[in-house]
Amino acid sequence: MTAVVDVEQAGTPAPAAPPAPRRPHRGWARVVRYRWLLVMMLPGILYFLLFRIWPMWGAQIAFKNYVPFLGIQGSEWVGWHHFQEFFSNPDFPRLLGNTLILAALSLFVAFPLTIVLALLLNEVRLSVLKRTVQTLVYIPHFLSWTVVVSLTALLFAIGTGPLSSFLDGLTGTETNYLADPDWFRPLILLQTIWKSTGWGTIIFLAALASVDQEQYEAAVIDGAGRWQRTWHITLPAIRPTIIVMLILQTGEILNTGFEQIYLMSNALNRTVADVFDTYVYFTGIQQGAYSYSTAVGLSKAIVGLVLIFGTNWLAKRFNQQGIF
Amino acid sequence: MRTRRLAPLALLAVGSLALAACGSGGGDGGDGGGGGEALDSLSIMAPYFSATPPEDDDPVGAKLSELAGLDLDMQWVPNAEYGDRTNVVLAGDEIPDVMVIQQKSQGFVQTAEAGGFWDLTEYLASGDYPNLVTENPDVQQASSVNGKVYGVYRARDVVRTSITIRKDWLKNLGLEEPTNTDELMALAKAFTEDDPDGNGKDDTYGMIIPAWGASIGTGSPYDAIETWFGAGNVWKDEGGQLIPSFTTPEWKQALDYEKQLIENGYVNKDYATMDGSTQWNEPFLNGKGGIIIDVQSRASQLAGLFKEKDPKTYDQFVALQGNIAGPNGDFALPTPGYSGFLAVPKASVQTEEQLKQVLTALNELSSTEGQVLENNGIEGDNFTVEDGFAVNDESKQDYTDLVSGSWAQIGTNVAGYEAYKPKPETEYDAELEQERVDLQAKDLEKAVFNPGAALVSETYMTNGVQLDQVIADARIQYISGQIDEAGLDAAIAQWKSSGGDAVTAEMNELYGQLG
Repeated sequence: MTAVVDVEQAGTPAPAAPPAPRRPHRGWARVVRYRWLLVMMLPGILYFLLFRIWPMWGAQIAFKNYVPFLGIQGSEWVGWHHFQEFFSNPDFPRLLGNTLILAALSLFVAFPLTIVLALLLNEVRLSVLKRTVQTLVYIPHFLSWTVVVSLTALLFAIGTGPLSSFLDGLTGTETNYLADPDWFRPLILLQTIWKSTGWGTIIFLAALASVDQEQYEAAVIDGAGRWQRTWHITLPAIRPTIIVMLILQTGEILNTGFEQIYLMSNALNRTVADVFDTYVYFTGIQQGAYSYSTAVGLSKAIVGLVLIFGTNWLAKRFNQQGIF
Repeated sequence: MRTRRLAPLALLAVGSLALAACGSGGGDGGDGGGGGEALDSLSIMAPYFSATPPEDDDPVGAKLSELAGLDLDMQWVPNAEYGDRTNVVLAGDEIPDVMVIQQKSQGFVQTAEAGGFWDLTEYLASGDYPNLVTENPDVQQASSVNGKVYGVYRARDVVRTSITIRKDWLKNLGLEEPTNTDELMALAKAFTEDDPDGNGKDDTYGMIIPAWGASIGTGSPYDAIETWFGAGNVWKDEGGQLIPSFTTPEWKQALDYEKQLIENGYVNKDYATMDGSTQWNEPFLNGKGGIIIDVQSRASQLAGLFKEKDPKTYDQFVALQGNIAGPNGDFALPTPGYSGFLAVPKASVQTEEQLKQVLTALNELSSTEGQVLENNGIEGDNFTVEDGFAVNDESKQDYTDLVSGSWAQIGTNVAGYEAYKPKPETEYDAELEQERVDLQAKDLEKAVFNPGAALVSETYMTNGVQLDQVIADARIQYISGQIDEAGLDAAIAQWKSSGGDAVTAEMNELYGQLG
């Protein structure tokens, strides 16, 4: 992203140079002029060509009855068959619902918490305390999901886990938190918050550091309290960052959950735990339904695309700059 | 600018399946063979259970290579991820000469039916490879895909289902081993409520059940109970027609029985989440639970663990009982009699000459000498023979475990098991082994085989897994009380409407053809 922004900004002072006579060569001149920037972009472009665009050639197996032995060319073309099958399957609304609910929880609960934590950290004046807290909240980010899920399993083990015993004591009933479908989403959300909130604050803290201090001073003179300063100065100042992060987050959301969800699901909570990614793994890798699972994967990508465009559109509606 | 336009495209790619990336290979890949010339090495992909796979210069491997007449180039895959790896390898370019296929997954069956694996039916029947001629044609038939034998199956005991019980608890309470399901329920109740360990605390329960994959007919404790109740074994032949076992009234009766076990607290509370591969023995060893429905070797395994704790008293803890009678008759749940098979992909073994080379090598690997190497190791090194039994060198036990946890996986033993059995160290070991053999003979007579084992229906191939999952999940939801009988019926109706009816029709058509 930064590369693009740099090119744009570098472009603005261009009118200072006489533009008229260079018109026919304008495109090429720009290339020559920014050649080093373009060279620096090459690795990124290569990366996308090699690892993102090229594999899409293989995505055509979603429209075929792919048998590896026959090869992609040799496999029978079946058009939308696998998509029809998936969309008419009772699994589809369930997967879509589960995926969207988990995505929404993460976007509307976990994401704002990141901002709140960043604001809180920003208000801490004692730098030793601030740094210690920052380090501590970053740590969970470096633990793998396997570790996080194992910890959860220990803490919430039925009858023996400290947290489950505590909660059982409060409610007076014994609940198997790990298998209860009603507890699946709260647990997933808790884990996500615990693991990623701290790390997510980094960018916001950077944005907060660049807020014009004079505005605060002026506000203090005008008699603004802490809340007012936060509401009227801090938040508007970091709003563009929030929007960009939100849109980026939306794009990531459908991809990140696999490990966590796969490890947390079991026979009793599968009705709420199955999402596109676990389903693709289940049908594609475990069962070898290559074409069908690719069709499911593509459908998921379309949902992701809709989410991105949706968020971007919303951002523009609220008079913010989108990312495209 | 360019990056911007790529963004949505890139996203689509990010989301689409990683599989697609590995899927670009054609059918012409494969190592070894290359053209039509003779093979000079044999690559085999196989699972392993040992802590680590054998080294490249493993002595058993060297001897097996010598025996086979071809250099064995082993590709070991941890058993837990073997199924995943099989499907990925099938979609890739590096296909070995011989693959252990553990289940007839969609990936395998579609490849086989497209001609991706050699049809071995004729070759095995020809008698040219005496060690690959089955001693049990029914099992070979069951391992086939609609009658076509695509691999040399890996023979297993037909009767393995059994009940392992805390012997000392039985004694403390003055109870006998159960002989029918009512007695089993009573025993589970007594183990839960009557303080079988005599410590005055309410800290025990009856049966230990781990979480099971979302599939049916895979030898779970639930499957065993359902067969005992007379629900058949995955499929049931009623008047020449196949019906799924879960549509029988006996199945529902069995589910109510299972529900009662859970509801009354006779089962561990984490039955839906306990990891069976690592935690199943623990409650039994620690005196928390007292009944395990699993394979017979669970009993000897547990006896071995008690022995590690205290070799003097270990013979007092484990009792073994076979399949028990249900309210509707006396039935036993058998295994399919095999655990996967060794198949030969055409991508790597391209000519008939090469295939004959491979089969000759497999024939040698299945000889008595080969079986001893695969199952026991190297005579005079890690074991010696006494009275026809293997006596393991204790200082080399690690190596013995390595051999039986890896090389045994490429053994087929279709023409009979010829390797040495371990010599029982004590009278109790011998007793337990004898009991096992006796139970096998007794239960074989009442074994209910899956009449549809060899049949692969077209519809089942495309969405059988999702279909099985519907039933497996509904079963555990019903047992746990999450759904009621109406919910269970709805799940069965969903199974039928989303492909199950087609599966049943196709299975019956195939059943009629193969008789």
